[in-house]
Amino acid sequence: MSYLVDPANWEWLGAGNNLRFILTGFLINIEIALLAMLLSLVFGLVLALMRISKRRAVSAPASLWIEVWRNLPLIFIILYLALAIPESWRDAYESSVPAWFPDAFQTPFFLAAVMGLTLYNSAVIAEIMRAGIVSLERGQGEAAAALGLTYWKSMRLIILPQGLRRMVPATVSQLITLNKDTTLVSIIGIQEVMRQARIVTNTSGSPFTGSGVDAPLLQVFLTVGLMFVLVNLLLSRLSTRLEIRERRKTGTEVEKVTGLEDQVAAEAQTR
Amino acid sequence: MLADHFPQFRDGFLVTLGLVAVSFAIAVVVGTLIAALRVQPIRALRWIGTVYVEFFRNIPLLVLLFIAFAGLRRAGVNIGPFAAGTGSLGLYTAAYVAEAIRSGVFAVGQGQIEASLSMGFTYPQTLRKIVLPQAIRTVIPPLGNLTIAMIKNSAIIGVALGLAQDLLKEARIINSNTFQTNEVFFWAAVGYLIMTVSATLTVRRLEQRLVIRR
Repeated sequence: MSYLVDPANWEWLGAGNNLRFILTGFLINIEIALLAMLLSLVFGLVLALMRISKRRAVSAPASLWIEVWRNLPLIFIILYLALAIPESWRDAYESSVPAWFPDAFQTPFFLAAVMGLTLYNSAVIAEIMRAGIVSLERGQGEAAAALGLTYWKSMRLIILPQGLRRMVPATVSQLITLNKDTTLVSIIGIQEVMRQARIVTNTSGSPFTGSGVDAPLLQVFLTVGLMFVLVNLLLSRLSTRLEIRERRKTGTEVEKVTGLEDQVAAEAQTR
Repeated sequence: MLADHFPQFRDGFLVTLGLVAVSFAIAVVVGTLIAALRVQPIRALRWIGTVYVEFFRNIPLLVLLFIAFAGLRRAGVNIGPFAAGTGSLGLYTAAYVAEAIRSGVFAVGQGQIEASLSMGFTYPQTLRKIVLPQAIRTVIPPLGNLTIAMIKNSAIIGVALGLAQDLLKEARIINSNTFQTNEVFFWAAVGYLIMTVSATLTVRRLEQRLVIRR
């Protein structure tokens, strides 16, 4: 405990631009998270719609796809893709990535990182969205059909707005998990906060960096951890606020999905 | 491929199961304690519980593993990779377990607690004899879901600490010897899916049997 709070072990925080160095890494994580969130929400919705389709030729492959990807460890998927994505794809990505993207986005393995995050999270989010949609009373769809709305119109105007609203807490919980999971891409060499923090903790004798800062590992990673805690807390507070306001306005109930790690968090939040 | 390297795949599979089992035990014990703190009448105790949950739920597991292994070792604590790995995963999941138990406790209903107190039970007795036995039933399905999440999260331990030879780690070793990436990862995926899918099916069965209609 005295080691933890000893001021000598926190000196690195104020020294040089150590904190700024770590924060630039953290910013990369946020950017990766935003990109993966966007892709996961889009593909998640597509997969959910495919899975609830009445045509078996559409729903069966979608079900299999979702169940496989959401039941595998994310780190497993990322490592596999890093090894298995053909070199031609990586080259194609490297030559087509816009130059104004951050440096960490320019590396060839970035494709594996984002694909991994998206494959896993879109499958989880598809399942959340599907649970929201099927939880709606059948009468809603039937009434829409009786009024002469086409399938897609009733989806867009009646089913999705109600079904997805119920799943906002579960979705936000998953997005928080995604945010935490961006640290996993450091394993395949993306230069983000874990790697930046690692550099700060390098001992001065390191043959690779030469001018190491030699900051204590425990304190550095505790600082990194607290950055995530702070951002995730803000995210969940914001969602709870929005949730309560929306619910007061529309009177919708929150629905429960099974088989979800963070559902527990979402449920506890809404009580 | 599977026939050639079956012993390695099997050993990795068993190590993963072992990591999950030990982490699960830690998560349930610590989670129950934290949940008990969170429903105490004393404000300071509730506060400790809340801080625990918010910290461990929002910190990336990989960061936690770095702190628990490399961080503690650099600080002079001689912790082994297995203890650091299961400890991190256990404490991380305990935050979710605590939340699950807490919502289970709230589901029991204020009336039961009031009735029990008015019958002369003390507060700890009420928790132990009236609330917990009922709460456990509501808590089993989320616990199952957390176990599934733990199976998946356990893969991070082998990658982060390098020393725990779990299924993913074994797959990577076989891959670096054979370079048959697709086949190696296919069989490792089958291993993980056997664990997660059978856990999912068990949870579903339990859920149907345990559901209480209120």
